[in-house]
Amino acid sequence: MSAAIDPVILEEAAGWLVRFQSETLSASDRAAFDRWRGRSAAHGAAWQRVEDMVRGFGQVPPAIGRDTLRRLDRPGRRQAIRALGGLLVLGPAAWAGWRTLPWREWAADVRTATGEQRHLELADGTRLVLNTASAVDILYTSEQRLLWLRAGEILLTTGRDPAPAHRPFIVRTSQGTIRALGTRFMVRDERDSIRVAVFDGAVEIQPQDPGVAAVVLPAGQQTVFNAHQVQPLAAADAASTSWEQGMLAVRNWRLADLVDELARYRPGVLRCDPAVAGLRVSGAFPLSDTDGSLRLLEKTLPVRISRVTPFWVTVAPRPSVTN
Amino acid sequence: MPPSDFLPADTVMKLYRDHHGWLSIWLRKKLGNSFDAADLAHDTFVRVMSGRRKEGMGAEPRALLTHIAKGLVVDHWRRRALEEAYLAVVAQLPAPEVPSPEVRALILETLHAIDATLRTLPVKTREIFLMSQFDGMAYADIADCQRVSLATVKRHMQKALTACLIAYQVHAA
Repeated sequence: MSAAIDPVILEEAAGWLVRFQSETLSASDRAAFDRWRGRSAAHGAAWQRVEDMVRGFGQVPPAIGRDTLRRLDRPGRRQAIRALGGLLVLGPAAWAGWRTLPWREWAADVRTATGEQRHLELADGTRLVLNTASAVDILYTSEQRLLWLRAGEILLTTGRDPAPAHRPFIVRTSQGTIRALGTRFMVRDERDSIRVAVFDGAVEIQPQDPGVAAVVLPAGQQTVFNAHQVQPLAAADAASTSWEQGMLAVRNWRLADLVDELARYRPGVLRCDPAVAGLRVSGAFPLSDTDGSLRLLEKTLPVRISRVTPFWVTVAPRPSVTN
Repeated sequence: MPPSDFLPADTVMKLYRDHHGWLSIWLRKKLGNSFDAADLAHDTFVRVMSGRRKEGMGAEPRALLTHIAKGLVVDHWRRRALEEAYLAVVAQLPAPEVPSPEVRALILETLHAIDATLRTLPVKTREIFLMSQFDGMAYADIADCQRVSLATVKRHMQKALTACLIAYQVHAA
């Protein structure tokens, strides 16, 4: 079907894709891009191929694609595949090491890509939900059940550890640790601070600074802490876990905050023009379809969604009819 | 392309008669079973027929047939390894997240193309591409994580994406 395109043009197309993925282009950059694409039929076809390819990649669930390709990347496997002179010896020998580990002692990295959510049930019955762009190490030992939140946001419903172990359940974060006391709670890494909300039971927060006393956070309360202090407790917003159902429920939020929140769920750049940042908005927005959420904004607010590419979207004021 | 570019039908028939036997046995030894061997023997002849190589067949077609068959065997094992890796990954997922058989075929095809492309690239380029494409990481975060400059990340990404675009061309053609 497709005619061969000069690799030099394909390389230029890849260069533009890189720019769209990595920076916010100015109006003159955009004009340069339009000129480039219009230079010849081959340039237009090259960009069409970029869009087709990106769509093709998009059909692969990120976690599955990543884990499958990384598994293939393990050196042992690649060598085995290269050693094609004879038959491949894969399988039992490679897996024996796993099986000899005690069943409870396992370590894993779990991640989600932007826009992805993942539900997991751990060995002790704990239910772990990872929100978009999150990473957790799971480190269960005979002494404790430790989750290490590396990035993003998790919702936990802890299971009862069977007797006689009763191992403590601890979430470690960049700013301190949270010990669960039979509970359902949410932890969100906001880079300089950690937000915690408790819906059942209670948790104990210990900031990293050992001079700061631990604080017990009971059900229905939330707080923000960093390595040195825990802010006063406030009522937990039940809607703050609406993401688990794939919706973002907000009441009287600033548009800029809503746009920032939606941006967590989509690759590329999503920005809010300062001119409309302070508009107030309430409603429920689908997270699995952020384009749909943006259309919703366009219908209910005096804003316009301006797209350079799918990777670069701005929520801007709608131009007024009169000048 | 004009029909004259293909091998003439009688040449193909002769080739098939003379060489299908040993090729099947050779493939069976490589693959360990006769079903896959029969498939790949068939594919080998399909490649020869559509390969526009009438001039190169010459006196020793065995060398060419073996060359093509070897490429197919490598491809076969790579697909097998990819499928194994895929199955191991989805085995860890809760049932609702396991893709349906139709989607699975689509995913495997795309991953096979990506794998084949990435294999030709340096490990670092491959890793940066995976971080961007499947971990959803921003370029700046990848730069931090890999301890390289943003410009270096962009260079690796342009290289990987160019390779993918060129491969996509071959794939789609």
